[in-house]
Amino acid sequence: MRSYWFGDVEDGQCTPSGGDAQAKSDRIRSIRTSMESFVPLTWETAVACGACRDRAEYIAKLREICFAAADRDIRQQYSGKDAELLQMVRTLDEMDTVINLLTERAVEWYQLRHPTFTRKYRKTPAHIVVKNIREKSRGALSFVAGEIERLSATRTELAKAVSGRANDVMPNTSALIGGLVAARLMAHAGGLSDLSRMPASAIQVLGARTALFAHIRTKTPPPKHGIIFQHRRVHNAPRDCRGKVARVLAGKLAIAARIDHYRGVVDPVFLESAQARIDLTMNSTGTGTENITGKENES
Amino acid sequence: MIWIGDVLVSQGEGGVYSERMLGTARVWDPFRSKLAALYHKGTGVEITAETRVLYLGAANGTTVSHVADYADVVYAVEFAPRPMQDLLEVARRRKNIVPIMADAIRPEQYAPLVEMVDLVYQDVAQPDQATIAIRNSAFLRVGGQIILMLKTRSVDVRKEPDVVFQETVDALTSAGFVVQESLWLAPYHQDHAAIVCTRSGV
Repeated sequence: MRSYWFGDVEDGQCTPSGGDAQAKSDRIRSIRTSMESFVPLTWETAVACGACRDRAEYIAKLREICFAAADRDIRQQYSGKDAELLQMVRTLDEMDTVINLLTERAVEWYQLRHPTFTRKYRKTPAHIVVKNIREKSRGALSFVAGEIERLSATRTELAKAVSGRANDVMPNTSALIGGLVAARLMAHAGGLSDLSRMPASAIQVLGARTALFAHIRTKTPPPKHGIIFQHRRVHNAPRDCRGKVARVLAGKLAIAARIDHYRGVVDPVFLESAQARIDLTMNSTGTGTENITGKENES
Repeated sequence: MIWIGDVLVSQGEGGVYSERMLGTARVWDPFRSKLAALYHKGTGVEITAETRVLYLGAANGTTVSHVADYADVVYAVEFAPRPMQDLLEVARRRKNIVPIMADAIRPEQYAPLVEMVDLVYQDVAQPDQATIAIRNSAFLRVGGQIILMLKTRSVDVRKEPDVVFQETVDALTSAGFVVQESLWLAPYHQDHAAIVCTRSGV
């Protein structure tokens, strides 16, 4: 028997499939075709089957079913909980870029009006600088500075929302590395299902693309970490054992992402063992570095 | 193919992607469309009102809209939901486009929908582009043609484009295709090659 969108054909006998476009498109999904013994359909078969009268009607009906199927599939792909989180993370990253660019520009503009103004040897945080610019300027520059402040406030709210959503969508990964970094990893991978299919070694260097390709092309040292560097346990680790911490952490993250994707609930047993394993690495490398200092061995 | 002077055009309803119009003809820009670049640089395949086309990697439906202006029917396969939204809008306005949301490397997913075609046009960003072409030749009539737009950088960024090109041509030849024409699309598109081949009789 051969199954096509309009019905089943067997020994020249055709059984038309019933239902509306939606039902027909659902049926297509269930059809299993083997490409080895595949015979392409002809529209004449569809006419003989009673599905349509002529070629124009054949195409029209087929289109109706294909539109229904595509609408359904798009809806399904967008309904995943990670789809919106992905957009939120990307918006967050773009807002950071915009805020930084605007701040730099506003400072340059302000420097023209105040030739003595400089940020050298001062530890004024950027948001204070912007606040000063707003208060000490008039007209458009003051408005721009005010707008930057409002953007920063929105950014803070968005970051909270991302973190909260990440705790919900990927509870295990978030528990290990924090909601914000977990969401960034997911966004870089392209989605939770993509992240869950990644090997730990790829997660470890996710976000370090330039360094990775430089390594592959010209044999520079490989990157030790990408986005996961943003987690305190990696960037607080002593320089010479960051790679090791990053590797262990990435290994546990890969497992956590799989639990998140395929189970979707917190696994306290896993989290406890993972935390213990990561802590063990931190501690052992902490003491290890004291012993391995090269100078002692040489002298 | 319709040329006005040395400008490639197609006849159809305009305004799909704010393309330039010459009277009632839609200008088909070789810098935007790889298929248009092929017609500018080489021979390509004549698409007529009888041609049935299977279009793999339809994306936003830009090139698809031009192909549909010439062809009898275009089966447009696209995998990603985002460009699919645009493609559906194009297909709503052009009654001879059949939009299919599926992965081109798994033709069994859309096998119950597609009839025998005269031309397979493939423009996908996948590493195994020859495999996709060979699998989809199940829909191609004997004597029908495949136009494969090879994105060499999608196959392997570390390999030289020339090497990738040669490997793909070899894979197609050993699968029983006769290569008619193969050329690079520079200066219109960097690191992209077009391979036109015919499915020989079994």
